[in-house]
Amino acid sequence: MSADNLNVYMPVVMLMFIAVATVVLALLVGKLIRPHNPFDNKEQAYECGEDPIGIAWSNFNVRFYVVSLIFIIFDVEGALLFPVAAVFKSFIEIGEGSVILATFALFILVLAVGIVYCWRKGDLDWVKGFTSEELQNLSKAKDAQ
Amino acid sequence: MFDKLLFFSSFLLTISGAAMVLGSKDLVRACIALLACLFGVAGLYATLNADFLAATQLVVYAGGVVILMLFAIMLTGGSNNAVNRFGINKVPSMGDGKTLAFGILSGAVATLTIFKITKNVFIDYNLQEIPGYSSTVEQIGQLLVTNHVLAFEISSILLLGALIGAAVIARPRKS
Amino acid sequence: MNPTFVTYLEQFLGYPATNLMAAVFFLVAVSILVGVMATIGGLGTYAERKISADIQARIGPNRVGPFGLLQMLADGVKMILKEDIIPSKADKLIFILAPMMAMFGVFATLAVLPFSSGLTLTDLNIGVFYVLGVGSFVGVAIFLGGYASNSKWSMLGGMRGASQIISYEIPVTLSILVAVTMAGGLSFSTLVEAQTGLPHGWYLFHNPFSFIAFFVLFIGALAETNRAPFDLPEAESELVSGYHTEYTGMRFGFFALAEYVEVFVVCGIAAALFLGGYKVPFDLGNGEVLSNALMNIPFLKMVVPMTNGTPIFKLLGSGLGQLLQLGSFFTKTLALYYVVIWIRWTLPRLRVDTLMTLCWKYLTPIALFNLLGAATWMVVFHGKSIYQIIFESGAAQAVGGH
Repeated sequence: MSADNLNVYMPVVMLMFIAVATVVLALLVGKLIRPHNPFDNKEQAYECGEDPIGIAWSNFNVRFYVVSLIFIIFDVEGALLFPVAAVFKSFIEIGEGSVILATFALFILVLAVGIVYCWRKGDLDWVKGFTSEELQNLSKAKDAQ
Repeated sequence: MFDKLLFFSSFLLTISGAAMVLGSKDLVRACIALLACLFGVAGLYATLNADFLAATQLVVYAGGVVILMLFAIMLTGGSNNAVNRFGINKVPSMGDGKTLAFGILSGAVATLTIFKITKNVFIDYNLQEIPGYSSTVEQIGQLLVTNHVLAFEISSILLLGALIGAAVIARPRKS
Repeated sequence: MNPTFVTYLEQFLGYPATNLMAAVFFLVAVSILVGVMATIGGLGTYAERKISADIQARIGPNRVGPFGLLQMLADGVKMILKEDIIPSKADKLIFILAPMMAMFGVFATLAVLPFSSGLTLTDLNIGVFYVLGVGSFVGVAIFLGGYASNSKWSMLGGMRGASQIISYEIPVTLSILVAVTMAGGLSFSTLVEAQTGLPHGWYLFHNPFSFIAFFVLFIGALAETNRAPFDLPEAESELVSGYHTEYTGMRFGFFALAEYVEVFVVCGIAAALFLGGYKVPFDLGNGEVLSNALMNIPFLKMVVPMTNGTPIFKLLGSGLGQLLQLGSFFTKTLALYYVVIWIRWTLPRLRVDTLMTLCWKYLTPIALFNLLGAATWMVVFHGKSIYQIIFESGAAQAVGGH
């Protein structure tokens, strides 16, 4: 009987199923009544009326990658903090509040060091400023052209 | 009834997702298949009453790692060149004899594992064996700040190291 | 559930039917909920247009139905009738999969949304954490929608959207942790029951840190749902329509529906975590007060025979209480929804670099500091709110004065 308690996941599975089923059903029903006359120009990607040049799958900037790398670290941090935060109150109630606060604070402060480091080193800047040296090199390269 | 359904759907999602990761020659599609596989694993955790682990699986892997992989794929310009560097555009794992042998070996191991798992399910599957549903969050939290407090703090230092390492590696080098 | 019916069904079917009954029960509840949420999503588009019209001194939709209320039906019919165009160079499989995944992620979060103490589909013990988990599918869906279209506008929108959503998840997670720290549990019932109906017991006014945490959460929620001023993934004036540029008809409609329902969900979560959720002032929500009050009405005493009248009063009282709770939750959530729309038509859009600066240099450090502050507050003041501290010190002084 104890396995019945997995029933708490029943609405979850149902909602997931219904969400997908709604999309499929609506598209299938729509298929019966909507027009369908494709031609080459219509199926082009939109590029403000011009013919698209090349494909869109090009190299993207490394910044996006850096952001997601930093994100994962904080995501894992959040995942580790959630169970501790959940028992925080019960520890206060048994009079061990300072102990759990110290644990909690140490964990957060160590990661705060990380974000301070990234900030100081400019990894959180979306557009990194050029140093004067780099600017000179750029203008030299432009002159050479 | 429902627990079986949950288990088998998660199981199918995991296995088929993993198979699609292997079989797909398109990196982004492989990534989505991986997402399905990881989601299935989360479902398996949920069947085992490890609800917190299941949610962690979703938060960290579905939300973080898969996006990271997608960004990494876009960093290299998407999957517009499905042909690998050996010029073979069929299945990525079938590169040469060595990878083929490795693939067959791992396939055999996987098959045996699946048979081993499903044997238990089909033959002596017993509802009574599953312990009652109880939340694991509080237990994990208690253990993290009592018995395993050192591991908890060290993990923060590990994360700090990973953060700094990630920032340093991804930083553009001055030539 | 009626146990006799279950036993009858078990005899009829020949196997235990408790699960089956639970499944049927949940299926009905889930269907109703999905219907209601789809309507709310549709009404969201209507509200958006009507409120924006109000703000810009226009009339807005007023042709279809009374006050243009049936506009959403007209839009829905139009979307179904539109031709379904998939660009020839697109990755068709992912193109089809992306709106599905957005709907999947958003609708799965509905399972734990606490509409009232009795009307929560399932009160998972991992509550908010589960929401964070399944909610992350939306980010993947937006990226995939942008990627699959193979259009430059879409690709830019998708990349921006995904990086924005994951970035703002950090301050949101940390702000949610503030509420979790104060309530001592992850399930929504714990989080809501730890607050009271009147504002002095809301977590918003519990301490200064939770006050800030609510606003960090709300700003982060705006960004996570791609609402203005953070609507960079679909910035009309620079990216045409962002990640859904190439989507037409119903496929676009599902992206839009997912977005509007997601706004409702995040508003509901913000209301549940910091604004007392479904709690009604003076404990009117739990039914006992109401049933006692009903029993004391002389007119009803005469109408209902007193012999078996008490359970009826109890039922009536709890039913009324649930309705009040539902009203409380929806009032708070829709008020936040209004603010979201209001902000959209008031503030200009951010730039990509300012967006990232706001997240990583302002919200994340603030949220980290907040979490530490809230935890310290809980330990130092033993979980008392500002109100309690002031009240108690006042009471102590009053006693000391005598």
